[in-house]
Amino acid sequence: MQFFNVVLQSEAPLNQIAAGLGANDLPYSLPIHPNLVHLTIGLFVIAIAFDFAGALYPLEKRIFRFLALPVTRAGFHDVGWYNLLACSVISFFTVAAGFYEMLTAVPLPGVISTFGLEGFVSMLWHGVGGVLLLALIVLMTIWRGYQRFLWRKDLGRQVQWIYLFSGVLMMGLMGIHGTVGAQLAAEFGVHITADQLLAAGANLREALP
Amino acid sequence: MLEHLLPPLNDHNLPWMDTIHPIVVHFVISMALISVFFDFIGVIAGKRALFEVSWWNLLFATTAIFVAIMFGQVEAGLANPYGASRDILNIHSTIGWSLAGILSVLTAWRYVLRAKDPLSLPLAFLGADSLLAALVVAQVYLGDQLIWVYGLHTVKVVEAMRAGLV
Repeated sequence: MQFFNVVLQSEAPLNQIAAGLGANDLPYSLPIHPNLVHLTIGLFVIAIAFDFAGALYPLEKRIFRFLALPVTRAGFHDVGWYNLLACSVISFFTVAAGFYEMLTAVPLPGVISTFGLEGFVSMLWHGVGGVLLLALIVLMTIWRGYQRFLWRKDLGRQVQWIYLFSGVLMMGLMGIHGTVGAQLAAEFGVHITADQLLAAGANLREALP
Repeated sequence: MLEHLLPPLNDHNLPWMDTIHPIVVHFVISMALISVFFDFIGVIAGKRALFEVSWWNLLFATTAIFVAIMFGQVEAGLANPYGASRDILNIHSTIGWSLAGILSVLTAWRYVLRAKDPLSLPLAFLGADSLLAALVVAQVYLGDQLIWVYGLHTVKVVEAMRAGLV
């Protein structure tokens, strides 16, 4: 067993590129995935929120009149559609960057997350969950497109209630999924220079002045 | 003062589970950048219906940045920055407040433009858009350094800080 362990250690795939990686286990200084995540989450949540605004338009139009803010129902639904479309396109890159950065990730050993998971298990959930969420985002975009251009083209309320409900459910899933991602950073120190340096026994006063 | 208002600090040196500022900034970053993007597409492709989408995204970014600053200030106050991250945090705070002002002015300008003619956009606004996008990107870059290089509010760094190692 000892023999196999040694062989596995030296042949760990990450070692093939280890020389090109910095202290943060990446060939560049800042991870890309978390930045694209801003766009995926922001665009999705606001797309659903504005479709809600469009759906509840009859209730809120007096408020907008009171605020002297000219609004159109179609304008709200335009935000719902275009933001979701942009979210769909960008999220492919979010997931791609996430996979690249997960392949080079080294979660701090011996840590158990707030969810009670170890580092590798958190990465597996976050990786598989990310692909599932991407699939659901794309499916919802297609669904949204059918409502906009075919099924509800002539109706004031461009979305079905079940679509809005699904959107809220998705936000819940994204919240849990994003929390696991945040734990990979703040608790497991994945791709964080200071955390990785500390784990390697470095003195931050010298290593990160 | 804060310690009497907020729950006790956890292993992230926070009175709540994890940093909230990076979550709120989702809505500033993505809404500001997509607003600029749709303005450019609207002008270049002549798709003027997109100006309305830009406007709502811009308004939302402006609302969200004040919430982002509120959480940002509390979490910055509890961050215990060290080394060069002290300067980065100062610049990040300064640009953050400036962005709140710039976003507010842009939104007010856009409100007037939209009230006059929702289907046209002067080129000057695209210039302002470009400045906004550049500032947002610079601000994200600085914020990224605070977390991904210096690990502020991460368990490992807070632990080292409490042990007097940084």
